[in-house]
Amino acid sequence: MDTLANIFLGFSLALTPVNIFWCTVGVVLGTAVGVLPGLGTPATIAILLPLTFQMNPTTGIIMMAGIYYGSKYGGSTTSILLNLPGETASVVTCLDGYQMARQGRAGAALGISAIASFVAGTVGVLGLMLVAPPLARFALRFGPPEYFALMTLGLTMVTFLAGKSMVKGLIAALFGLWLAMIGTDRFTADSRFVFGRLELLDGIDFIVASIGIFAVGEVLVNLEEKTKIDLFTVPKGLRNLMPTWQDIKDCRFAFLNGSVVGFFIGIIPGAGASIASFLSYGLEKAVSKHPEKFGNGAIEGVAAPEGANNSETGGALVPLFTLGIPGSNSTAMLLAALTLWGLRPGPLLIQEHPETFWGLVASMYVGNIMLLILNLPLVPMWAQILRIPYYVLYPMILGISFIGVYAVNNSMFDVWLLAIFGLLGYLMKKLDFPAAPLILAIVLGGRAEETFRQSLIMSGGAMSIFWTRPLTVLMLSLALALLAAPFFRSVRQWQKPRASDDE
Amino acid sequence: MNNGMDEAYTAKLKVKDKEETKMKPVQMVCRSLALGGLVLLLAAYSVRAQSFTPTRPVDIVNHSRAGGGSDLFARALVKMLEDEKLIPSGWQVVNKSGGSGGQAMGYLAEKKGDKHTISVFTNTWVVTGLTRAESKYTMKDFTPLVRMILEPTIAVVKADSPYKSLMDFVQDAKKKPGKLVQVGGTVSSVDNLFRNLIQKQTGAKWQYVDIRSGGERIANILGGHMHIYFPQPAEVSEHVRAGSVKIIATLTENRLEGYPNVSTIKEQGLDVPIITQVRGVLGPPKTDAAVANYYEDIFLRLTKTPSWKKYVDENQVESAYLNGKGLAGALVQLTDQLRTTLKDAGVKVVR
Repeated sequence: MDTLANIFLGFSLALTPVNIFWCTVGVVLGTAVGVLPGLGTPATIAILLPLTFQMNPTTGIIMMAGIYYGSKYGGSTTSILLNLPGETASVVTCLDGYQMARQGRAGAALGISAIASFVAGTVGVLGLMLVAPPLARFALRFGPPEYFALMTLGLTMVTFLAGKSMVKGLIAALFGLWLAMIGTDRFTADSRFVFGRLELLDGIDFIVASIGIFAVGEVLVNLEEKTKIDLFTVPKGLRNLMPTWQDIKDCRFAFLNGSVVGFFIGIIPGAGASIASFLSYGLEKAVSKHPEKFGNGAIEGVAAPEGANNSETGGALVPLFTLGIPGSNSTAMLLAALTLWGLRPGPLLIQEHPETFWGLVASMYVGNIMLLILNLPLVPMWAQILRIPYYVLYPMILGISFIGVYAVNNSMFDVWLLAIFGLLGYLMKKLDFPAAPLILAIVLGGRAEETFRQSLIMSGGAMSIFWTRPLTVLMLSLALALLAAPFFRSVRQWQKPRASDDE
Repeated sequence: MNNGMDEAYTAKLKVKDKEETKMKPVQMVCRSLALGGLVLLLAAYSVRAQSFTPTRPVDIVNHSRAGGGSDLFARALVKMLEDEKLIPSGWQVVNKSGGSGGQAMGYLAEKKGDKHTISVFTNTWVVTGLTRAESKYTMKDFTPLVRMILEPTIAVVKADSPYKSLMDFVQDAKKKPGKLVQVGGTVSSVDNLFRNLIQKQTGAKWQYVDIRSGGERIANILGGHMHIYFPQPAEVSEHVRAGSVKIIATLTENRLEGYPNVSTIKEQGLDVPIITQVRGVLGPPKTDAAVANYYEDIFLRLTKTPSWKKYVDENQVESAYLNGKGLAGALVQLTDQLRTTLKDAGVKVVR
């Protein structure tokens, strides 16, 4: 068996002391990068690249990839504890993770996120190892119409994120779509809604919006409620800080869902971890027996998106290694790194440098195990953050938010923008508008518009392009079905209270 | 002390003429101060005329986020300069992303006369100055230091495509107007400008789809969703080597060293002006001549090193050093050329 021989080759490389050492360095750094908002994976790889010039490429890619998938583990930490998404892919984790923390289950949320990350991360690597080449060909079937269908599918998740009022959810989503339009219209090079500000030409950074609405907004709302001094209850004792067996059992499907959705979204270049996490969250809620718990601290609502954004990394490496096509900024940096080490990333890379590819694959098993070992013991430590009194914690959250946002572009404008979004988050919370649909619309709105117009340019204006391509039809029908789903559910809910009217 | 020189001079004379009986202490202080001042003036003058050397680490600005094209170029420059011992270590890369280069331009403009700030630039800066009402600055505001690189553009199609030359593609586009699709960057990017120039010259018409990332553009070619792409050679060289895409023309004046068998568009009978992608270095407004000389000199010396040779080969670009004066001329030409082609392409030009 060829694959078997390659796997042995990979492990023989990954398990050398040097490579284990650098793999550890990579995943530890990655975790740190994930925890700190604003400091992104691509930037970290770029900054550390000169350090790796002396390494051989296998060691180098093992370390750099460690940063990449390690950051996905760390991203959930601040989302759960502080409602502060450390990374774009962790926004969804805020929804239920932070609620769990408020209910005193921060440890369980952090623990399950580490476990989900481990399971899905490992599944992602398995996928990368076993089915990379055929899947890469599948990814190539995605042209603009298919992307548009995928984005539409993603946008239908609004129905799952809307919370109590569908109308308010849709208003929030529409507002998000408008925000997504701000910036340069790429097709005509006109400026849209930039109000004469140079800083708005590239649009609103999604991380600024989400940190503002989630973290800053949350702090503002809580400041107002002066009476409630003890926001969080942190149970004593290690056992209470870990997920229970029941939690893990509850998340069985979430692990599978996150792994599969994440991996498949990952192999499609340009789709990205945020859509993977939104989709798996929506799917989890759609099949859940208790969808009403979502948004109020459902543990599956943490496990599914966290799994998805980890398994996405395995998927994203498929087009990178089989075709030399990076699907995200992080993988583009890995590609740049491979080039700098003198390798030639492209369709021939695995064939010409099997040791680099298989060494990396094997090291990712090792790295995922290390991340689990590293992250689980950290859980009780992180949970202690919540013991910090609010008059210290809040300034700290604000500080991290503002510094983090400034660090993205080194721009004061973003800092003001963050303040505005903080205020918006506060108002939305006061008026009971859900934040998630707005964020979802910012993430997907721009891409949806872009791919829609790209499709129409391709077809010379004929709408038929959306119903003559099988994959597009499949995804659009799925989206339609998802849109119809709440109607069926409302019928069900309408029937249920009748049955229990006597109570 | 407004007459320092005279005073010092007379003082000297006095000393020479008479064996000085006694000097008052105040006088002595005045004289020595005057002499000291003279020495300082002379010293300052000679330094100015000779050369400038940075007294602290230089900031090298770019308009990308960490990992973007200009960021990688700036970091590569610093690394090569350090490796070749042309500068002491410690030069900093400063990322001012956003506003299609506008943020970096604004930042550099604020550093007026600063001897320790320079910036890398690309065509994007020229285009932003021309098309963006929001941008306060144009290339004219900055001090041209050096041109380092010209990036050639080529035309590629999927390997199993029927087109053997760009002319084949153009002929086919003529037969079915608006049916063929080119994939590329924004409407103001070089790829779209070339398309407009060729369309204008030949009367052929085809569609242009802007896709954000280079990787996805290649994916669209490989997936057969779109028909042609005008990339830089480094973007596709591995696919060419693997036989998944083929080059059907170079959009350059001369054939490329790496692909001697591929003919240029001129050879194929498409007589359009060649737009080049420039990478170089600018100083802030009002950069001192001596300071400019220093930067021109180290970059010129860099272009003669093995590190540079290796960089140029690996990235498949053309080493095209010009000093500040040469770059100033080239920029005027490029600006005029871009202004006309952008207008032709239907992009609103504001300056």
